[in-house]
Amino acid sequence: MTTLEKFIVPIGPQHPALKEPGHFEFTVDGETVTAATVRLGYVHRGIEKATENRNWTQNLYLLERICGICSHTHALCYSLGVEALAEVTAPPRAQAIRSLVAELERVHSHLLWLGVAAHEAGFDTLFMYSWRDRETIMDVLEGLTGNRVNYSAMELGGVKFDVDDKQTDTIRRGLDYLEERTHHYLKVVTTDNSFLQRTRGVGTLSREQAEDIGVIGPMARASGIARDVRVDAPYAAYAQFPVNVIVEAAGDLEARFVVRIKELFESYRLIREILEKMPTGDLTVRMPRKVKEGETISRVEAPRGEAFYFIKSGGGEKPERVKVRTPSLCNFTSVIITAPGHQLADMPMILAGIDPCFSCNDRMVVLNGESVMTWEQLRQYGIEYYSKK
Amino acid sequence: MDILQPIIALLFFPAGLFVMGNGLAYMWVDRKLVAQYQNRIGPRWFQPLADIMKLLSKEEIIPENVDPRLFIGLPLLALACALTAALYVPLLGFQPVLSFQGDLIVTVYLLSVVTMSLALAGSNTADRFSLIGAVRTLTQLFSYEAPFLLALLGPAIVAGSWQISTINAFAGNHWIVLTQPIGFVIALIGLMGKLELPPFDAPEAETEIVKGALTEYSGRGLALFQLAKSVELVVGLTLIAAFYLGGIANPITFFLKTLILLLVLAGLQSLFARFRIEQTARWWRYASLLVLVQWVIIAVLGGKTL
Repeated sequence: MTTLEKFIVPIGPQHPALKEPGHFEFTVDGETVTAATVRLGYVHRGIEKATENRNWTQNLYLLERICGICSHTHALCYSLGVEALAEVTAPPRAQAIRSLVAELERVHSHLLWLGVAAHEAGFDTLFMYSWRDRETIMDVLEGLTGNRVNYSAMELGGVKFDVDDKQTDTIRRGLDYLEERTHHYLKVVTTDNSFLQRTRGVGTLSREQAEDIGVIGPMARASGIARDVRVDAPYAAYAQFPVNVIVEAAGDLEARFVVRIKELFESYRLIREILEKMPTGDLTVRMPRKVKEGETISRVEAPRGEAFYFIKSGGGEKPERVKVRTPSLCNFTSVIITAPGHQLADMPMILAGIDPCFSCNDRMVVLNGESVMTWEQLRQYGIEYYSKK
Repeated sequence: MDILQPIIALLFFPAGLFVMGNGLAYMWVDRKLVAQYQNRIGPRWFQPLADIMKLLSKEEIIPENVDPRLFIGLPLLALACALTAALYVPLLGFQPVLSFQGDLIVTVYLLSVVTMSLALAGSNTADRFSLIGAVRTLTQLFSYEAPFLLALLGPAIVAGSWQISTINAFAGNHWIVLTQPIGFVIALIGLMGKLELPPFDAPEAETEIVKGALTEYSGRGLALFQLAKSVELVVGLTLIAAFYLGGIANPITFFLKTLILLLVLAGLQSLFARFRIEQTARWWRYASLLVLVQWVIIAVLGGKTL
């Protein structure tokens, strides 16, 4: 077979390993991967552009739908930015509830990831168990906000709901159960031999590599970089309720499991602390319809790493520009760097190790030589296209 | 009537339709048990049968760049070999339909042909997942085949015969699992490797290579391969139960012993993460050595007294 130069295994856009479309090409020599490429952008939805046609409040609900897993993160990040522009600060109780929901969301996201990653390793029992236990936190979120996925907990200048004693009890009970289960999962991922031979020493990203390509979130923390927006630039109530950053030095898949599971314990601790020392007071402050002219950035630690918003206001009822950079985008490079030299069987694991979220980071890319239409040209094109029909 | 009896034996009972139905029922038991172990509800009792019927009623798409004769013929060959193998084992505790000195080797050989046709079916298509799946299927075949056969030969040695019915009769008075535990474990795990059950499901790991060698198969071909596998499950369980668990004398012992084995099999399936193919191969190297060690022990202690 001299004519066969490269044997490329495509993973995606449609593939059982991927829950969302993305395209990865792994060049293999037998079972060993020699090169990898990534192509994203299959689920670009044009949300950034859509924000320019909606007012400040409407955008809150649109942006929450960027991600189905870390929806609160986006609403929170956007609210923080808009509030900074409008020079409004949410009251302490609202800030505490924002942090509370953010941590509950982190718990649900990490448990979801644990299941997905176990499934990629062919360990379906762990998958089923962790998702069963994740229902506890979904029920808590539903009881608290009324929704399982897009919580709509945020409001510009505050939050929508209060937490009463009954809900506090429900959350505490849920956490007690989850804490016990999480201890079990930590034991499984650090001691189960069949699982360890799929994770230990696989997909190792050294500290230097991690610094070079700028990975963020649990990926960076698993490679020994203590990087966490909740600590570096506290927002919401994180200044009053400090976070201990979990860092593992190894940088392999096992470290990523350990970091995320230990972060669960940290979240449980935070949630309990917030519930205990919940400040009293109002839930909202008045928010002006029009936001002062200006630009701002806001950062939030999503379950996957740092979410970044740039918001520009022209002084009207609508934003002039909202730019979103979601955490997964920073981490995709690590797949390409760590893939060569591994077995093909490790690829889904390495891919899942970054906790990829596709639809939230897809954006339009202009390649060399492609012409770009302006908004006016595009509109004209549309009018002509439909008049001809 | 003399002619009718072998035809019934071949087509309906105990081989043929019965063993297919039994295989599908056992597939359901397996799926249900794994689901229960994983805290799921699991499928209803007719699910495997419904799957097969649905597949049989569907269009079979023959992809480009394949040899259509092979593509259509291989599932038939696989099912035929699995059903032929069923003729040599004491299903339900009855005497095997066919039996001769050395039929153990033929049975194991026929079971291997099922896997071989699976691999051939994968390499027949131009699909990249199928090709990798075929290579993995063959790699796995080479790794487990030796220890599996050696583990089945252990009881044959002490029984002093390579005829399945003779070994079965001998095992009726000897629980060989007590004297050859290593062989029992390896035969059971070898069966898991043969059936590509988790954790030895690297050849059809869905998160890597979709459905492995069978990725391009749909409709009838897929249904026949699945039937072949479920027949293989019954034949394999019967062999191990007959050899190691005190033989199979009547339908009650048949169902009791094979279902106990299936219970263990389902437990093993839900306990581990999937082995990478090179890890599977490494594992089986040790397994072969272990069986050989057991052979030495048998030889030293003097075969028939065990």
